Amino acid sequence: MPIELRSVTKTYETEKTPAVRDISLRIAPGEFVCFIGPSGCGKSTVLKLISGLETPERGTIEAPQKTAMSFQFGALFPWLTVFENVALGLRTEGKSETHVMRAVYQELDAMKIREFEHKYPADLSGGQRQRVGIARALAVDPEVLLLDEPFSALDPQTTAELHDDIIDAWRRTKKTIILVSHLIEEAVSMGERVVLMKAGRIEADFRVDLPYPRRESEGFHRDVMKIRREFFRA
Amino acid sequence: MISMKHVHHHPRHIALTYPASVRQHFYLLLIGPLVLALVVYLIASAYQLPHTPAPLSPAQLLSATLATIVRIAVAYVASVLIAVPLAIFATKTKTLERIFLPVFDILGSVPILAFFPVVVLVFVRFDFPEGAAVFILFLNILWNIVFTVVGGLKIIPKDIVYAAKIFGLTGWSYTRRLILPAIFPQLVVGSILAVAEGWNLVIVAEALHTYIPHGDPSQDLFGIGSILVQAAANSQNGVFIAALIIMVLFIGVFNLLVWQRLLTISQRFRFD
Repeated sequence: MPIELRSVTKTYETEKTPAVRDISLRIAPGEFVCFIGPSGCGKSTVLKLISGLETPERGTIEAPQKTAMSFQFGALFPWLTVFENVALGLRTEGKSETHVMRAVYQELDAMKIREFEHKYPADLSGGQRQRVGIARALAVDPEVLLLDEPFSALDPQTTAELHDDIIDAWRRTKKTIILVSHLIEEAVSMGERVVLMKAGRIEADFRVDLPYPRRESEGFHRDVMKIRREFFRA
Repeated sequence: MISMKHVHHHPRHIALTYPASVRQHFYLLLIGPLVLALVVYLIASAYQLPHTPAPLSPAQLLSATLATIVRIAVAYVASVLIAVPLAIFATKTKTLERIFLPVFDILGSVPILAFFPVVVLVFVRFDFPEGAAVFILFLNILWNIVFTVVGGLKIIPKDIVYAAKIFGLTGWSYTRRLILPAIFPQLVVGSILAVAEGWNLVIVAEALHTYIPHGDPSQDLFGIGSILVQAAANSQNGVFIAALIIMVLFIGVFNLLVWQRLLTISQRFRFD
């Protein structure tokens, strides 16, 4: 099922100006879309609207029922072990213990964090926490995976490793992935589409047609420069 | 010239025995109470309180302490059972917060003891003086717990709340799997403060006769608090000291064995 936003506007209770203004967008199933834009431009709000965490004041949203999200700092429950954090969604769905074990270990292996299954979030590095957050989201087998600035607090090496693991997960699962980032290079290196937002509106929508891994590919810097020009255009 | 120093990594051995200081404390924990119990016995057995038929025995002192502990425990459990749902309900929406939090502020700042004479008279009228002490302890502990739990609820990160919703936690599962663990550290801290205040208040709360017109000490509730008040009033320093030692000893041991452990456990429940 595609994701369809039609003339969506959202203003938060505590704000005077809308976080998102009259945006329309269609995302096909299995697409990898990156939202970029300056801080406060509304890109995280789009994720919350798609996931159903926020409701639009105007416009309509059609999205698959089953979405899962990974957050900026992992948003892990500190009192649960890595295993239990990843199992969280499956347990609330009432899945059998056999199903929980199989799904959790599959994602722990995919995210290369099985050795930490008994550890608590406080004992993990930022990158490991982020992997747990992504594993937790993938474990419930969602149709759409939403990633809200998952790399913003990570070092460059961990970020690069996670980029590869997410692209692998996308190719393996064929899920729709929507990533929010404030880095143009990151968006171009990962997404099939890059949506540029400014002041709550969609400013531009780019299609990136480069082979992976992209940072070494010929057109990478050309595409980055093209989007950069739009990004900084007044 | 750059010099290089080799760093030797020694394998880390896990200590199978506790450090000497811990062992010493452990012995102190065993021997200390025995020595103090002996002192209490020697001091207390020499005295007789005005309304007691025989000299105060160590067993009486211990049962008085137990009576006080039960009183505080009943008030504490009742307070937690009411304060936690109350705090959760009051912070459920912004509108409820705007209504309830100022009310809590006002009620919490009212001095409880000012109402005690009325409370005592009401409970005595219904021939249930025990209820007066428990009720006043309950009210005192209640507001401590309410305020700390509200504080705990306010510091749950927004993303954690979003994650809980995304992964299907609603209703009771939301409370059980997110709210209750999240407020645990504040509940522990609030409980320590509230129970400590309860111990302060119990000294007043058990000496009911001071609030009953023409009351006499026989109307006091049996407990360590009333023994302290009566011993002080009758200048029975031995009983006073014995009761004080037992009380301090219990509070100290309880702190060491329960509160400190809960504080350590609660570290695991804190958000970074």
